[in-house]
Amino acid sequence: MSETAAISVRGLWQVFGAQPGPAFQRASADHDTPEAIAETLKAQGHIPAVRDANFDVAPGELFVVMGLSGSGKSTLIRGISRLVEPTAGKVEIEGEDVLSASTKRMTELRRSKIGMVFQHFGLFPHLSVIDNVAFPLKVGGMSRAERHAKARPILDMVGLQGRENAYPRELSGGQRQRVGIARSLAGDCSVWFLDEPFSALDPLIRRQLQDEFLDIRKRLNTTIVFITHDITEALKLADRIAIMRDGRIVQIGTPAEIVLKPVDDYVREFSRDVARGRHAKVGSVMRQDTGDLGTDDPGLRPDMTLEDALASCMKLYQPVPVRDDTGALLGAVYPQDLAKALQVERV
Amino acid sequence: MTAIDIAVRRPVLTRGLVAALFVLAVGALCLMLEPVAPWLFAFPAAWTVPATDWVGNVLEVVLNTIKPTMRLFSAVVAYPMAGADWALSGTPWPIVLGAVTGLGWYIGGWRMSLLGLAGFGFVLLSGYWTESMNTLALVVVSVPLAVLLGGGIGLLANEAPRVRPALLATLDAMQTIPTFAYLTPLLLLFGFGPVVGLVASAIYAAPPMARNVILGLERVDAEVKEAGIMSGATRLQQLVLVEIPAAAQQIMVGVNQCLMAALSMVIIAAVIGGFDDIGWEVLLTMRKAQFGQAFLAGLVIVAFAIVIDRMSAQLALERQRFSWRIGAGIFGAGIALALVLALAGQADAPAGIFGAASEAVDTSLGAFTAANGAALDGIKNGAMFYGLLPLRIGLDQAVLPFTWGFQWTGAMSLWLFAAGALGGLALAMTGRPVAGVGLAILTGIIETGVANLPWPFVLSSVAALGWIAGGRRLAIIATLLLATILVSGLWERALLSIYLSGAAVAACTVVGGLLGLLSAVSPMAWRVVRPLCDMLQTIPLFVFLIPVLMFFQIGEFSAFLAICAYAIVPMIRYTRHGLISTPPDMLEAAIASGATPSQIMRDVRFPYAAPSILLGLNQTILYAFAMLVIAALIGTTGLGQSIYLALGQADVGLGVSAGAAMAILAFIADRLVQGFAAERRKALGLS
Repeated sequence: MSETAAISVRGLWQVFGAQPGPAFQRASADHDTPEAIAETLKAQGHIPAVRDANFDVAPGELFVVMGLSGSGKSTLIRGISRLVEPTAGKVEIEGEDVLSASTKRMTELRRSKIGMVFQHFGLFPHLSVIDNVAFPLKVGGMSRAERHAKARPILDMVGLQGRENAYPRELSGGQRQRVGIARSLAGDCSVWFLDEPFSALDPLIRRQLQDEFLDIRKRLNTTIVFITHDITEALKLADRIAIMRDGRIVQIGTPAEIVLKPVDDYVREFSRDVARGRHAKVGSVMRQDTGDLGTDDPGLRPDMTLEDALASCMKLYQPVPVRDDTGALLGAVYPQDLAKALQVERV
Repeated sequence: MTAIDIAVRRPVLTRGLVAALFVLAVGALCLMLEPVAPWLFAFPAAWTVPATDWVGNVLEVVLNTIKPTMRLFSAVVAYPMAGADWALSGTPWPIVLGAVTGLGWYIGGWRMSLLGLAGFGFVLLSGYWTESMNTLALVVVSVPLAVLLGGGIGLLANEAPRVRPALLATLDAMQTIPTFAYLTPLLLLFGFGPVVGLVASAIYAAPPMARNVILGLERVDAEVKEAGIMSGATRLQQLVLVEIPAAAQQIMVGVNQCLMAALSMVIIAAVIGGFDDIGWEVLLTMRKAQFGQAFLAGLVIVAFAIVIDRMSAQLALERQRFSWRIGAGIFGAGIALALVLALAGQADAPAGIFGAASEAVDTSLGAFTAANGAALDGIKNGAMFYGLLPLRIGLDQAVLPFTWGFQWTGAMSLWLFAAGALGGLALAMTGRPVAGVGLAILTGIIETGVANLPWPFVLSSVAALGWIAGGRRLAIIATLLLATILVSGLWERALLSIYLSGAAVAACTVVGGLLGLLSAVSPMAWRVVRPLCDMLQTIPLFVFLIPVLMFFQIGEFSAFLAICAYAIVPMIRYTRHGLISTPPDMLEAAIASGATPSQIMRDVRFPYAAPSILLGLNQTILYAFAMLVIAALIGTTGLGQSIYLALGQADVGLGVSAGAAMAILAFIADRLVQGFAAERRKALGLS
């Protein structure tokens, strides 16, 4: 187990059903591999929603868990945050074993260390915006004036100044999630869980909030576990991505690794529609064997994206003719224009 | 003819058909064996056990054990009761009026304010101020008790999932056991006096509160609950700061229902007397046949009910704030008026101004009944001789020369059976075998009469229905429960109860279904029907008895009408709601397929509405049972009458046993209809 990991998950199982604990005990005594255990559990009518999850998240890392609905990603984050009690396994947050922590200790951790954002915002309908944001401080016993003073700059940070006294029902979806984000930050958390925070928003607002989220992240430098079902979102935000299927983590890797070296067809299927050129770097296709180098040097560097590298290479080519069916010359195409036109607008 | 054709034509032995054939066979067998085995019809007394005595003896011991504690409780509760009573009757009326009107302003602006003023103003002018304040005092003390009790049960069910099924069953029992039935043991425990009414209304009013608390807490969005946890709230903080406030609207609905139930029960509890309240006034004037006065007192109850209902319902809506200053101003005006009146020596509530009016009602009612007595009797006798009586004792006994003009003969029975069998056969041949067998069974029931049905037939019918509606488990439970009534010696009375409530439910289903259909197709009709439904649902049970008594005197027909008036409302509401809530895309698809409006109604809207209509029927049945016991006051036979008699004789055993029997009947009916509704919903893919 990594000494330096902010979050460390080992052998985490989440089984649902009539008798999940005993059933898992029996199944794991009889079988060795996670697959065999899962099959046994399923045969007994239990649902292994998360099977043997193992990963570490480094301090300050943005770790994205990606998977389709029903893949177990929401269950995974609920197990780590102990919103549900995992069936087996170990979860450490900043070196502390949270699964054996007392209820009292969990409450303290949630007030001071862990923040969480929900897909449908989870705002308290009876509280104003500022009281929603200050709620973690309130239950922590902070006085009204103090907690409001602390909540205000957070509201400013998410762009909600002037809406302090509005109620959730009066806000748009984007504004509601800003409140949700602000509330999760009120306790000065160092570990931040986001459960599909932008999935319920329309595409334009989603992109805007993603950018603001990255801004906030730069400023706060928290450790983040981010759940999404959207591969584009995952690739855009993540330092590393874990892909889940049927409760199993099938691959963990950087965005480039996921796109260029998918471990199986399932992962490949995800990245099919993704413009790989934007996520992969020159280094990933560079060979050590230099062979016979030509004379052209477009100025490539290993950390350039493939798209940029292609555009640079294309600059070296001469313009070529474009003709109609009779062979008459209509005009010319410059290869660098081709490369540029094929680039998707950067999002 | 090909093999496929044959396979299609052959009637499929569905579960429904098997059950129907089974019931038909048992019924036919019983009819054939009647001459040799009369015990199939009248359950021999020798086979029954003295269950009512046993229940009475056991309860006597239990009650006597806890009696001292309860008497102590009674003594303790007497203080707040006396306090509330003193405060309400001692407070000069302008202050009470000002408080209600001012509160109305604060809750709902000028509308509620005006409603409060009009309602309580009417109470004042009716001359029943003192009695009304006594009733209000009971409500004021019993509602917090019921809210605490119900809220506590609700919270417990929410926090401890293990005890939840037991708690829900308790709530079921608290609501289905007729109120009169537990008045008897309460009387023994607490002695005569208002505390019995208080406790009874707390028992009766707590379940709606508990149910709404459970429902409200359950419906709080899962993520909102999780957000509370992840904010670091302790369980208590989660409940108090997040879940209860987030469920506030639903809980206020519970408070509203709790208030209405308490008011209804406080008035019902007046039958035990000992407290000079408005319910007693109704009962007294009704017994003296002073219908004008009874009607006036009834209207006072209605005014109360409407003010309390609308104001507390307003609280459950999205709050729109109104100035408390104006409310306080109105209250201040009330105090000022009280001072002025006190200085002028006019502090007492004015005598009623409707005395003359109610006498006029009496006289004109007398004149009306005298003038139209023949017509009213005609209606009553017609309904009795041609509807209720044959249903009760069967055509073979009800058709007499004196009423129908001829004597029913054995040959006629044969002809009837032949007609039923032929009709059934026709239905079976045209692809509706279950309906066919059903018709044959129905013919048998009409010929025999509900009260004379052979008990093996009743038991097997319930078993068969239970089997179709909910499988083997329900069939066994329902049959066993019914069998306990059979051996306890309450069987005949139970059949009479089934007959009267069955007749009322059938009438409600037809009339209410038609009204619901009318309301669904015509918004104009709904505009007329809706306020009527609101009105009927707000009125406490008791008040239904007054108008029917005015025109039809004491008797089964009056009871029938009172039950129908109360029980028809859910049928109308659910039918309409089911019919108008067809998904628009289904309607568009039907229109695009070229269906006429009546085809859409029959083939699209109605099948889709079936689960909702069944739920309406379920409610109607439960309402009918509830009213059956109240209607015992004006002359019904059966279990309701037994319960009422037991109250008069302080016969705990009989009261509780008959009450339990009623609860069993209600329970069986409820589960059967719910089962059918669930089956329909599943078939439509709605659950």
